[in-house]
Amino acid sequence: MEFLSYFGGVFEPLAFALLVGGTIGGLILGATPGLSPTMAVALLIPFTFHLSATQGLILLGAAYTSTVAGGAVSAILLKIPGAPANIATALDGHAMAKKGEGARALHLSFLSSGIGGVIGVLLLIFLTPLLAQWALAFGPSHLFWLAILGVTVIGSLDSKSFVKGLLAGCIGLWLSMIGYDDIQGAQRFIFHDALAGGIHIIAALIGIFAIPQVLDMFAKGRSKAKIEAVDVPQHAFSASAKEMGRSGRPLTIGTIIGSIVGLIPGIGGQIAGLVAYDQAKKFSPHKDKFGTGHPEGLIAAESANNAMVGPSLVPLLTLSIPGSPTAAVLLGGLLIHGIFPGSDIFERNPEVIWTFINSMLIGQIFMVIFGIVIAKQAAKIAQAPLPIMASAVLVLALFGSYSVQQSMGDVWIMLSLGLGMYFLEKFGFSAAPVVLGLILGPIAESNFVQGSLIAGAQFDGPWAQAQYFTTGTLNIVLIALVILSIGYSFLSHRASGRAAVNVEGVQA
Amino acid sequence: MTASRTQHLVSSSIILVIALLVGWVSFTEQPAEAFLFPRLISIFFMIFALWNFIRAVMGLSKVGEGISGQTARAIFPGLIVMLIYIFWAAKGYGKVPALEGHWLYDWVRRGLGFYTSSTIAFFLLYSLYDPAPITDIRSWLKRIVVTAIFMAIIYGLFALLLKVQTPRGMIF
Amino acid sequence: MKTMIKALGVSLAAATMAFAVPASAEEYPSRPIGVAVSYGAGGATDFQARIVTMVAGNEDMLGQPIYILNKPGAGGRVGWNWFAEEAEADGYTMSAYNVPHFIAQSIKGGVKYSVDSFEPIANWGADPAVVVVGKDSPYNTIQEMVDFAKENPGKVTLSGAGLFVGHHIAALQIQKETGAKFVYIPTKGGGAAAMKAVIAGDVVGGINNLSDAFRAAEAGNVKILAVADLERNDFLPDVPTLKESGYDVDNASVNFRGLMVPKGTPQDVIDALAAKVPGMFEHARVVKRMKAGGSPLHVMNREEVQAMWAKRQETLAELLKDL
Repeated sequence: MEFLSYFGGVFEPLAFALLVGGTIGGLILGATPGLSPTMAVALLIPFTFHLSATQGLILLGAAYTSTVAGGAVSAILLKIPGAPANIATALDGHAMAKKGEGARALHLSFLSSGIGGVIGVLLLIFLTPLLAQWALAFGPSHLFWLAILGVTVIGSLDSKSFVKGLLAGCIGLWLSMIGYDDIQGAQRFIFHDALAGGIHIIAALIGIFAIPQVLDMFAKGRSKAKIEAVDVPQHAFSASAKEMGRSGRPLTIGTIIGSIVGLIPGIGGQIAGLVAYDQAKKFSPHKDKFGTGHPEGLIAAESANNAMVGPSLVPLLTLSIPGSPTAAVLLGGLLIHGIFPGSDIFERNPEVIWTFINSMLIGQIFMVIFGIVIAKQAAKIAQAPLPIMASAVLVLALFGSYSVQQSMGDVWIMLSLGLGMYFLEKFGFSAAPVVLGLILGPIAESNFVQGSLIAGAQFDGPWAQAQYFTTGTLNIVLIALVILSIGYSFLSHRASGRAAVNVEGVQA
Repeated sequence: MTASRTQHLVSSSIILVIALLVGWVSFTEQPAEAFLFPRLISIFFMIFALWNFIRAVMGLSKVGEGISGQTARAIFPGLIVMLIYIFWAAKGYGKVPALEGHWLYDWVRRGLGFYTSSTIAFFLLYSLYDPAPITDIRSWLKRIVVTAIFMAIIYGLFALLLKVQTPRGMIF
Repeated sequence: MKTMIKALGVSLAAATMAFAVPASAEEYPSRPIGVAVSYGAGGATDFQARIVTMVAGNEDMLGQPIYILNKPGAGGRVGWNWFAEEAEADGYTMSAYNVPHFIAQSIKGGVKYSVDSFEPIANWGADPAVVVVGKDSPYNTIQEMVDFAKENPGKVTLSGAGLFVGHHIAALQIQKETGAKFVYIPTKGGGAAAMKAVIAGDVVGGINNLSDAFRAAEAGNVKILAVADLERNDFLPDVPTLKESGYDVDNASVNFRGLMVPKGTPQDVIDALAAKVPGMFEHARVVKRMKAGGSPLHVMNREEVQAMWAKRQETLAELLKDL
């Protein structure tokens, strides 16, 4: 309960102002397409030069929490996920906004972010020493299987056809290999100079999600009759709050998955939302409603991606190992102020660290409040006339993808991927497996290569690699999960496939 | 509405060709160590692409609405504006060594710059797809005002707040 | 008529020229300067670049702020390729260099740059490579580890931040000197990922940055066996150099970080930067922040860096030629 005694630090005038400013600023930066939480926090680092260690960390902590949640705003309203964490949010969130339920989607998203986030930070407060060991338990072979487990999710994620889901995943995996190979430095699949740097995930996300949507709006043409004039029902916050109360299952699934996955260095933050979305779908009685604007998917995804924030700091604070790119930037923020992470950090710098963690706790609450306040106004954006929306999304896509690395090549890649995705979508492929492949490809590959090298040294004989990758409890558990996951999606697709055929038969 | 069998055939063959190309590159390019993982992936890629192709041949591909002539016609003008905007107007593109050094060529190559081209593209696309009749003066005014407000927000966000250095073109 | 057209052409050309080259006529710098960092946000290079450029906006320094652009990928190749090929040589785009990384990569080939593609401005830091093992490792000295590796070739795994970076160079030098055979495991995600492999026991040992290893050792997670430098480091007075441990390994793997501009940048711009940047690195606030972060500061001026690059080019060409 030591942390309670440091709550005072959060409410000092300047610290409090920074907390509020960081939260609002974080929401805006997070909602800006092309600015991932990592970039947003990196942009704020220079401001902390002029602040004390505690104040600087309050600013960074508040910004970290709120940028992750802010990414949901553009995912829901514009279908441009601000970061990989928000991909799953875009799937159902944007469908809700299109139905005129933008305010409801934003309410639910902020509430579940807040709940997931608070639980995540509480885990950080109470279980840090325990969790630190868990974070270290994952070696190259385990991370490889985890990535493969993520890939198997592809088969059941947001696609209507089993083989097309897997094929889309393969396309994503292939795209992830374009450019210089990270370990050997060899050039692979570089057809054009712009591809030499590989495909940047943020630019790819913008293209894959935003461009097909722009073209879909063009496809509606200029005939007035076809423009959706949705009647927006007033959506009271109290109704959203009640709905949250009834959504225990997706919220629990999201929070648990977010906390566990968030701990694993190098993989967590990116896929927590997608995995939670997939699991919520598997456990839901309304599987077929996912992807059509069903709140359960949104709640699971958003609670997961904020629940991951707290635990992702565990390996950072205790072992100085940043678990995510954003945590790496935070590490810089700590070091600049002479705070060295380590298992005794809570004894050496209790004031700074506890105030930092407390500010993240209170930041979550502020984030929910501000999010709810802006929700009603912001939701109107999704109601803008289609021609304005289409042009605005296109211009934002250009600026967003350019500002990631200030590179025109990224913009061209963004548009090319977007056009390709449009045609794929028209033939029954969906975007989520492609981006999942794009995210997991490098993780699977680098751990495969490292694991193979280590295997050669640890075991003898021709089966060294197989031995390394398949022995040990954790490996066996993960392999079992992979098999289960494949089996499940194959069977459920067969079942739903038959049902669909029957329906068609009846109609014919 | 679902896509016709022909459309599914065409799309699945294109994907199959890409998959085979990826496989071919993975198994022929050097150094082999760097292509170990691509080989693994390309095998699955080719299997699934072939499976998908066979389903299309057998007429089992049902999902996806395909692209109708009407859709293509509706998209076409917007797509052209989009391509010119992204691939030329925003920053400029192209290399014709023979013309290099000629002032007009060098000038055109620079494109219009981010803000000018975005303003024009936004206004053009908005006008192209706005259902208001072309003779309606008030809707023209409205479009100009909306464009100006939107670009002001973009400028404020990216140039003033985030200080992103965007390419400048012929004018701005 | 003909002359008129000609005159028109000339004046138009002149007008375009005026558009095209606005900067050189004015006092340099007249707008913010970008520094491309070839590694991701949060990495040691990015973090240090942000600190050493923080006072650039001061009137007595450059008078214009410096902003950081991250272009990570393939151990730095992506960023430096971009810098050599595409960056405008107008003094408004600089890049952070990491020696020996970019020199080793250019010797190894497959990239679009070499030492001749860039003009150094000044050096800000020198981070030696160190040999680390986990806290429960049976090895307490570098000799014990090397002896074991000699008896069991290919059994000792060493993690490092990638191929042809300082860590890899150090591993190659130790191998060449001792005749022992290590398995070098390049990780993706820089020194932090390589350090994680050591702490978690995925590998027997690792080569890492002194600054990162120093913090990990302070926290009690690793043991540092040796420093690959000519002299002991102020941060680690008790850790012997490889030379003291009896291995003739020099400082070719020390990770020098500094700023450079592309070849073709106007000489007056280079001179202006070379005159002011070293002072910027030595600013009291920069020194304080670097020290707080455990990052060794080592300021060198343009001439010294040029000499250092030339020397590295020679040593590395020698070391890498039989690979």
